[in-house]
Amino acid sequence: MFEYSWYHIAPWGAELSVYFFLIGMAGMSYALATAPDLFGGKFESLRAIQTPGLAVGLIVVGVCAPLLIMDLGQPGRFLYPIIYFHWTSPLSWGSVFLVLFTACIAGFYWAKNMGNRNDLLKPLAIVGSLLGLSMPLYTGLDLMVNTTREVWATPWMPVMFTVLSISSGTAMIAIIAKVRGVTNADAMAILHTILLASVATTFALFLGLVVSLLYGSGEMQQGWEILNSQYGTQIWLLTFVIGILLPLGMLALPAVGRQPTMLIGAGVASMVGAFMVREVLLVAGQLPQLYY
Amino acid sequence: MAIGLQADPSEGVAGKKRWAMVVDLRRCIGCMACVAACKAEYDVPLGVWRTTVKVKDLGQYPNTKRQFMPRLCNHCDNPPCVRNCPTEATYKHEEGYVLQRYERCIACRTCMAACPYNARHVLPNNRSRVKIGGVVDKCTFCEHRVSNGLVPACVQTCLGRTRIFGDLNDPNSEVRKLVATKAVAVLKPEKGTKPQVYYIQPTQKITDQLSSPPASYAAKADAEAFYRHNKGRQFFGGVL
Repeated sequence: MFEYSWYHIAPWGAELSVYFFLIGMAGMSYALATAPDLFGGKFESLRAIQTPGLAVGLIVVGVCAPLLIMDLGQPGRFLYPIIYFHWTSPLSWGSVFLVLFTACIAGFYWAKNMGNRNDLLKPLAIVGSLLGLSMPLYTGLDLMVNTTREVWATPWMPVMFTVLSISSGTAMIAIIAKVRGVTNADAMAILHTILLASVATTFALFLGLVVSLLYGSGEMQQGWEILNSQYGTQIWLLTFVIGILLPLGMLALPAVGRQPTMLIGAGVASMVGAFMVREVLLVAGQLPQLYY
Repeated sequence: MAIGLQADPSEGVAGKKRWAMVVDLRRCIGCMACVAACKAEYDVPLGVWRTTVKVKDLGQYPNTKRQFMPRLCNHCDNPPCVRNCPTEATYKHEEGYVLQRYERCIACRTCMAACPYNARHVLPNNRSRVKIGGVVDKCTFCEHRVSNGLVPACVQTCLGRTRIFGDLNDPNSEVRKLVATKAVAVLKPEKGTKPQVYYIQPTQKITDQLSSPPASYAAKADAEAFYRHNKGRQFFGGVL
């Protein structure tokens, strides 16, 4: 059979899934780092990880900046979505929120450690946490609004990205807590509860993803076929087994799951899953339309 | 005003033009003159295209037929690329064109992700003559020619008169008459983009080309070679 096709390059590659993962993790790290000032009570047990938690947020944002510049080709381009703000584009909102979120991290650190402005801590914790969690939300929306890509155009995409960020951010804080020697029962219980809830939600959303791909439109089924044929290891081993089932098993029994080593192990595994599921979703949304 | 667009659809609006193209698939002979004319008009670099013609042999010997499928931006009336653009670099013109402002484009490729027709590409940075690079580009329906009373370069050069261009709002225009009297179809109507490139007599087998990956050995080898030049990946690997 003679064919003369024209080939196309899928517009979004691995740098986007890395960015989605990192920025989501930064958001949840900030939320947990500021929780002692926001909620008090048992969350006071997390106070020792406050400064490193904020530092993680800032460092990760700092890593994301060159990643975005590399992706866009020029540093100044990052400002264009703010200067020429287009309200129907999630990317425009995301650019504004990213700048405000960074300001909140810096502002909270200043208010806490340099400015002695305790009156600002709670407002900055609330606004910054909302902005931080809006990071994964906007990245999910950025995919969801592409209504012509059926794999992406589902309302649970931003929900899933937010839940994945909650698990990866919590995992990062659990690692910091272990390194800083913060292994008190309250801290472990809080981190365990959040991680278990987010991984369990991911499990439910993953099943939803599988069912919707299996029984969806032709394009969705094609996406499913591509995932299984070319990305089987990523979706089944790294996402489902290592990223979801393994941490779920490790955390299922609270007495075992609250041990620092188990918590970190489950956290790292869930981070692998949180990255991989984004990667496979990014792929599954683009490859079905590559040749047409 | 349509949400997120800079201009309302002009089809059927009195006193306004709505430029559209009709592609008569019965006439296309796959000479690629339209592709060459477009390349020449805009100095379109190697590896990317504003317009293409897909070729595929259908059937089994001796009952075979070679089908051609000209493709270009569909200048949709509900363009997802425009709505999703974070800088309004791509915008809807009041006469129906979907155009691109290079000075605003940040090459985020959101428009490429949004387009169901693969009608957009990133221009490489290292171009020798035209210095526009590192931005997303697409077919403009040759707005610069049309606004000066000419037809698009691909239409001008089409030797079989496969491509017919005109104002859909003008009752005397050829495109209006063809759309009104012939069995026309648009690509991927289920996506809700309201495309404005109409195809005359597309059979199911032709439109099926839109959802079938390359099958022949030659086409697969071509694909491998193409992606090998993109760092071996099917995904965008940085502004070229």
